[in-house]
Amino acid sequence: MRAYILTFLLTISLSVSAWADLLVIVHANNPVSMLERKQVVDIFMGRATAFPTQQPAHTLDVTNSSDLRAIFYKNLTGKNEAQVDAYWATLVFAGRMSPPEKLPDEAAVIKAVKNNPAAIGYVTRQNLPAGVKVVMELPTP
Amino acid sequence: MVTPKLKLKSLHVKVSLAVATGALFIMLVSSYFFYQRIYDRSLAESERSVQQLLETVSATAAIAAYVGNKELGQEVVGGLTKNDIVIGAEITANNETIGAQGKHIVKGGPTYSNLKLIGPFDPKEIVGELSVLTNLPLIAKRARDSALATTFSLAAQAAVIAILVLVLVYWMMTRPLSSLSKRLHGIIPGDGKRLDVQTKHKSDEIGLLVNDINSLLTTVEKMLLEERQLRHRVELLEHRFRGIFEDSSAGIFLVREDGTMVTANPAFFKLTGKFNGLDDVAPDTNIVKETFLIPDQARGLIKLAIVSQRPCSCDLKISSANSDEKDRWVHCIFSPAGEDQSNPVVEGVMYDITQRKLTEDITRELAEKDSLTGLANRQAAELVLKDLTTSRLQTGGGFVVMLIDLDRFKFINDTYGHDAGDWVLKTVADRLHRRVRSSDVIARLGGDEFLIILTQTDNRLKVKELAEKLLADQQQPMEVQPGFFETVAMSIGIAFYDRKEDNETSIRKHADQAMYSVKRNGKNGYAIYNPMGKHDIFIANKALS
Repeated sequence: MRAYILTFLLTISLSVSAWADLLVIVHANNPVSMLERKQVVDIFMGRATAFPTQQPAHTLDVTNSSDLRAIFYKNLTGKNEAQVDAYWATLVFAGRMSPPEKLPDEAAVIKAVKNNPAAIGYVTRQNLPAGVKVVMELPTP
Repeated sequence: MVTPKLKLKSLHVKVSLAVATGALFIMLVSSYFFYQRIYDRSLAESERSVQQLLETVSATAAIAAYVGNKELGQEVVGGLTKNDIVIGAEITANNETIGAQGKHIVKGGPTYSNLKLIGPFDPKEIVGELSVLTNLPLIAKRARDSALATTFSLAAQAAVIAILVLVLVYWMMTRPLSSLSKRLHGIIPGDGKRLDVQTKHKSDEIGLLVNDINSLLTTVEKMLLEERQLRHRVELLEHRFRGIFEDSSAGIFLVREDGTMVTANPAFFKLTGKFNGLDDVAPDTNIVKETFLIPDQARGLIKLAIVSQRPCSCDLKISSANSDEKDRWVHCIFSPAGEDQSNPVVEGVMYDITQRKLTEDITRELAEKDSLTGLANRQAAELVLKDLTTSRLQTGGGFVVMLIDLDRFKFINDTYGHDAGDWVLKTVADRLHRRVRSSDVIARLGGDEFLIILTQTDNRLKVKELAEKLLADQQQPMEVQPGFFETVAMSIGIAFYDRKEDNETSIRKHADQAMYSVKRNGKNGYAIYNPMGKHDIFIANKALS
């Protein structure tokens, strides 16, 4: 009985934290086991085109209309979506740079990560399928 | 007389110069001040605008530096150098240049500006640096242009105001003053003309000035009139006095205390005869010394007049021009003249009294002389006696009185007539005159009575000798009528002056007593008075016999 109650409480707390935290995920075979926040920022904002292990990185984004994207960038860089879009517009206009690939939703992101060893994406906290691993947890307030 | 035109011109020039100088000075000072301030401000603004420029592109530059995007970096510096105040720009990130345009950047220097690029996602991270070289000459030129433009506009304002002031000063002050002066110049004091006040200047300083000038003109005219009248009166008086001075028969002259002459009238020169006129007298000539026979007398009088401040007069002899002429007498009045006490001047008035003196002398002679014999008369003798008795009281010494009476005179008078008597008297007088000295006095007291005063001797022997000679003289017969000769003897009474006892009457009385003792003792002799009554009698006949 006590175990059930514990499990219940844990589940509740997990589900609450699942709302609050975002996970940065990579392919399970990626040699990178953990990334610093700065490293994640550099990768997603185009500064770094490869993982610290020199493996090229392919960033995945979600569409603009999702809250997830706004929350992710807000929590990661402190910028809102419009700012981030302007940032990319500037870089794209200058040439040779391209923003992360945009996918319709979290499921597409997970699927793309599972299929591409170079991919890196972000999802809300959830039970992840095999072939995907978390390299950073991004707490959301 | 300075022409008023010139004067006004100079006034106007002065005002213009003053205004122009003042304006120029203010212009210079303000121009310098404003130029400096505006130049500095422009420079600062340019620097600020460079900084603002940097700020503007800093976000993009930071992105470029962050991602190391050379295209974006190049675009940023390209954009920057399009500004003409930027001549070189560079973005560096991780010691790598990700964009450079224009002049090569050298760190430091006056034209160098830089901005640290902050990471777009991490404010703590410096992702690079944006550096620019500013076009300092251009900035300076702009600052200068701006400052110059402001300064010029200020100067122009000042110039306009100066010209305005000048025109206003000319219009409102110089021109009214000049016209006032012109009008005033046309007025001759005394012609009764006055300046008219223009209505627009009625209550200002110019109106006040016009009123003052008019009242001054009135005063001046009044004074001129008074002075003219006064001068006329003075001229008249002077003419009169000059006439008196010039035409006066009296010699009028002004002398200083030292005897030099100030002036003199023609009569003075005519009277003294030494100089021809005023021009003939040298300035340092001592006129007193030259004019008066006894200058000390005149000097004394002049001094007295100065000291007493009163006229002093005296009869003085003046020395004549040529020595053969007789000295002349003038009556001279010296009066103090002039107010100056330090160098007093005395006015002398002299008129010729030589004639009067002559007349006086004759009159005196007539009064003192016996008209028949020319000897002194009784009054004169009495005067001399009186003088002698008083003077001998002080000086000492003696004198002798001889009283003479003719014997037988009555007989001759009665026998031959009065003419014969007169002849006898004259002859006796001559004989007496021959025997005595000029200092002695011979007088006829009246009738046949004579008096001799021997002033120089009281030697008894000498007196006796003289008396004997006189008696001897009478032994000479006189021709009383043609062919008729008579001898007239005389009796002589002699008295010696005794200082202790005698006065003028007593000594005559004594001589008289001595004479009568001769008469009593036979006449034709002399007797010397003796107070004891025993006179020393000498009778010629007896002696002869």
